[in-house]
Amino acid sequence: MNRTFVLATVAAILICLAPSWPVVAGEMGNSVAASATRGEPIDFARQVAPILTRKCHGCHGTNRQEGGLRLDFEAAARQGGDSGAAILPGNSRKSRLVRLVSGLEERLVMPPEGDGLSGSEIELLAAWIDQGAQWSEDAGGPVRAAADHWSFRPIRRPSPPAVTREGWVRNSIDAFVLARLEPAGMPPAAEADRYTLIRRLSLDLHGLPPSPADVEAFVADTHSDAYDRLADRLLASPHFGERWGRHWLDLARYADSNGYDNDEPRPSAWRYRDWVIDAFNRDLPFDRFTLEQLAGDLLPAATFEQKLATGFHRNTPTNTEGGVDREEFRVKTVVDRLNTTGTVWLGLTVGCAECHSHKYDPLSQREYYGLLTFFNSADEVVIEGPDGAKAEVLARSPTPRATRIHLRGDFLNPGDKVRPHTPAVLHSFSPFPLQSDRRQLARWLTAPENPLTARVAANRIWQHLFGRGLVATVDDFGTQGQPPTHPELLDWLASELVDRRWSQKQLIKLIVMSATYRQASTGDPDRAASDPENLLLARQNPWRVEAEVVRDLALGASGLLSPRVGGPSFYPALPEGADKDPRWQASPAGEQHRRGMYIFTQRTTPYPMLVQFDAPDSHVACTRRDRSNTPLQALTLLNDPLFFESAQALAERVWVECAGDTRARIDYAFRLCLARPPNQQESDRLATLFVEQTQLCQADSQAAQALAGDRTLQGASLAEAAAWVGLCRTLLNLDELVTRR
Amino acid sequence: MNDWRELATQSRRGFLTSTAGGIGGAALASLLAGELSASEPSQHEAAGMPAGEDGRFAPRPPHFRPSATHCIFIYLYGGISQLDLFDPKPKLAELDGQPLPESLAANVRFAFVKKDTARFLASPRKFSRHGQCGMEISELLPHLAGCVDEIALVRSMHTEAFNHAPGELMTNTGTLASGHPSVGAWLSYGLGSESTDLPGYVVLILGERIKAYTWSNGFLPSVHQGVRLGSQGEPVHNLHRPAGMTPAIDRSQLDAIRDLNLLSYRHLGDPEIAARIAAYELAFRMQSAAPELIDLSAETAGTLNSYGTDRPDADAKTFATQCLLARRLVERGVRFVNLIHSNWDQHKDLDRDLARNCLVVDQPIAALLKDLKQRGLFDTTLVVVCTEFGRTPVSDNGQKPDMPNGRDHHPSAFSVWMAGGGVRGGQVIGQTDEFGWNVVEDPVHVNDFHATILHLFGLDHLKLTYRFKGRDFRLTDVGGKVVHKLLRSVS
Repeated sequence: MNRTFVLATVAAILICLAPSWPVVAGEMGNSVAASATRGEPIDFARQVAPILTRKCHGCHGTNRQEGGLRLDFEAAARQGGDSGAAILPGNSRKSRLVRLVSGLEERLVMPPEGDGLSGSEIELLAAWIDQGAQWSEDAGGPVRAAADHWSFRPIRRPSPPAVTREGWVRNSIDAFVLARLEPAGMPPAAEADRYTLIRRLSLDLHGLPPSPADVEAFVADTHSDAYDRLADRLLASPHFGERWGRHWLDLARYADSNGYDNDEPRPSAWRYRDWVIDAFNRDLPFDRFTLEQLAGDLLPAATFEQKLATGFHRNTPTNTEGGVDREEFRVKTVVDRLNTTGTVWLGLTVGCAECHSHKYDPLSQREYYGLLTFFNSADEVVIEGPDGAKAEVLARSPTPRATRIHLRGDFLNPGDKVRPHTPAVLHSFSPFPLQSDRRQLARWLTAPENPLTARVAANRIWQHLFGRGLVATVDDFGTQGQPPTHPELLDWLASELVDRRWSQKQLIKLIVMSATYRQASTGDPDRAASDPENLLLARQNPWRVEAEVVRDLALGASGLLSPRVGGPSFYPALPEGADKDPRWQASPAGEQHRRGMYIFTQRTTPYPMLVQFDAPDSHVACTRRDRSNTPLQALTLLNDPLFFESAQALAERVWVECAGDTRARIDYAFRLCLARPPNQQESDRLATLFVEQTQLCQADSQAAQALAGDRTLQGASLAEAAAWVGLCRTLLNLDELVTRR
Repeated sequence: MNDWRELATQSRRGFLTSTAGGIGGAALASLLAGELSASEPSQHEAAGMPAGEDGRFAPRPPHFRPSATHCIFIYLYGGISQLDLFDPKPKLAELDGQPLPESLAANVRFAFVKKDTARFLASPRKFSRHGQCGMEISELLPHLAGCVDEIALVRSMHTEAFNHAPGELMTNTGTLASGHPSVGAWLSYGLGSESTDLPGYVVLILGERIKAYTWSNGFLPSVHQGVRLGSQGEPVHNLHRPAGMTPAIDRSQLDAIRDLNLLSYRHLGDPEIAARIAAYELAFRMQSAAPELIDLSAETAGTLNSYGTDRPDADAKTFATQCLLARRLVERGVRFVNLIHSNWDQHKDLDRDLARNCLVVDQPIAALLKDLKQRGLFDTTLVVVCTEFGRTPVSDNGQKPDMPNGRDHHPSAFSVWMAGGGVRGGQVIGQTDEFGWNVVEDPVHVNDFHATILHLFGLDHLKLTYRFKGRDFRLTDVGGKVVHKLLRSVS
């Protein structure tokens, strides 16, 4: 950036603004500024600290101290920087801080980039300094400032705002979205066409392609509730539980092996995975879902299923290497359980406080260990189900363990004993537990006063339906995370989730019914350029589907997919050259075409195709997957034996199921893959390809034989059979196949 | 990725091309190159005229005459202990076990060290002078010691970050926040790729905790992201076409894939589609080029031994192979090879773990320098060895207070080195005080270091910009000045 230019511009603007600063105060409508000028005491934590955080701490804070100045704690701020004091208590006129932010210093203005301080902000700073620059009333200053952070404030259900374009609003979500679009002069995108809608909904709710028959039925359905019924049908299918269960398994760091050096298989881990699928299918309310996973074993007369749910925290990687210090690894396990719980339910990086008090969020090391007590007395046990099958779960230790702070996070360096408690910045227990009890923690997480859990859960659901959370940092609702793009909408969704008895299915239904969700993912290019990240939601977002879905789409289109839900994980055949765990034996042919989510997760040697498409590494909770786009992915879709087998099977399916001419078959194959008919150009291009492929295969019958494989297409020549395989391979490699729009 | 920032220009330009089915590889190449790299395409390129190259993401001229055309960027994650490897401090031996003087303690923050009880920690490592230049290097790097006349050691690096994630981001992307392009992505964007058959930016990793933001394209189009080759088994899978899939039959399908994707791209303008088209074109050519790349059978026993590809230690063996692959990648025109090794974060067990890390990396890196030189690639290939910060002259008493054997993060003075690609070897730049605490001569900030890398590639760090969210961003954020002492020919 041309810095000189910007500086000059900012300076010019401020010079225009600055001289009026001392006199403009009285004219300000802003009540804050008005109170400042009336001499009412300024509340540092509420009024001043947020300005410093937003405008100054980037260069004068924890990570950087430009000009030797820090403004993030009192002593440093009072000391000033290389050019001397920045704050002269009682004299804002002479305080360099005020002069710099208001452009009264020659050649330098602060902040040098981004928006400067507004008149009322300058006014507040000045008034605060004139009143003596009191950093805070009490020693708990930083906590007080952070307690005012948006995500720690109680959730209050906002009323949907009034909007001009009422006709567009299908439910309250749309009002919140429009309320930001309208002042920005951005109209929402048109509704996506029916083909796009059914494919989007099928991918979002099942992770599977819709059948051509379902697509045609939906497109032809003229009833006003066609979309509504489609959503209900998809939500009622067991494939819904697979799709949303897999999202949860990312958080649960689910795997079928222990990890670390030995990485032994966990032969019964899949039972927990199936519990998750089932829980989504029966729409187990999220508070109950929480309680059973964290403390199912402690429920009165706990059933096998409820105990099984505690498998959530048996997904922790385990080191069984010789010479391992058992206590060290037990502590690591407990720490992993707390950190995962913090990420998944609270959206906080609590793990930072294991070794030292959190640098950014109001969580002390003592508070961390207060939370740790809840997991410290849980033992790992194996139970037997009614069918004799085994499952790995948690159970209360017969002898409860005392919890001590580990100084610097070192278990060999114990400090004070701590009692169970939760962070002071959040609500307290009622009644206060005398002993750590995981049930108490689960109830605290889903208590009506908890400001985080419902927001974090609603935001995650939003992320899966829009590709991005309203809070983009889904794993960090703390002060270092990004603020929500639509704070009121987030609170409204969180309230809805709770009001609907924590029904995740209902919240998903509500979101997919909105006009916001149904928008096309393409918008006006000029408007799109003005909001490149689509923060205002003037369109849907397209994205490359997750690793398992890439596989399921190819298998689904070709008809190879085994629709079986649940059961032990299977071992797919590995491609040539892949690193192979000696215990990896490919499962029988009948298992090979199951959905991607049933592939055995060997932590240290994960299945390469899944890795290639950014599947999580299953060691820690994954809240957001990468969406890379690489030539190695192209090689996988082009050459991996499973994908080629899909092309061969698709060719046979098209030949058998469609009796028409070449064009009709092209049309059918296209619909199987992309859930829409091809347009004329596309159909022409594929017809040209078919002719080309037939000619090439006629000229090389050996190649044709290998390409056509064992599947003979009755009535087709060998070259034609091979050409159909080539055409199907082409379709299975299109960008559109792996993109959800 | 739902990234629409280039949508307006791209859809406008997309319509300049011919209809599907008629577009040739060369026209596509110029279309994609024009869309996705730094400069505007020339008139004839924009009109879809052949550019003479097939489907590659065409190279772009730099701002001025470069000395380097390729880079092997070796990033050692965790914070290298400069006091045990590169920056000898005899004073620390005198002060070993003594408390930190008030003068030094006043203005510092540590990640873990407790200031009030902090004690100096001497290095147990012997340093001696090597080469004609007489550079002092630790006994832990016996192989590198043989190359000191080629390397420029910077002892005066400094950064703002004292934690890993921001430090990692600063060293690899030039800012403390995530979401910005890496050095390799900027070079790819600025210069395009010379490699027809392999990605222009390849990443090879050994070790854990490495995040994808290290080789991210950030806000640049995603063709500029590093392509990570596998560290387990073969580096690239699925290179072999299915049985019967002759190159001609394959190419005919690839043409259709490209044309159909191009139709979508013209209809929707989504830059991810353009990136996928480029990825498929590259994948097609990688099928021929990559098997040859990863097949080391043509390397002589002497070469393999020099890198140490058959050393008994599994990590040592992997890193040696990765260094050899780096040379092979550069030989084949790959612009930027990023080798990442983890973990150098020794808060405790410094003696043991640093020795082991050096055992893994020293021999292959030295072999790489010699090998490049022998093949005439050294003068145009910049080799960088860097880290996110250094380690403290005091011991990390946070870990094992009774028996501290580790050092904490130290952002105010650390060491990195460069060689080849127009760097003047056999010199030490900068100096730290007698404790190794602060830089006292020729400070080099990470932004300066990046500005210098770009300069070696003929790029002015102030001019290599990308407009995002209404602002022109650059690798060097709002800082950076070229360190002219590092350059062979002073400019």
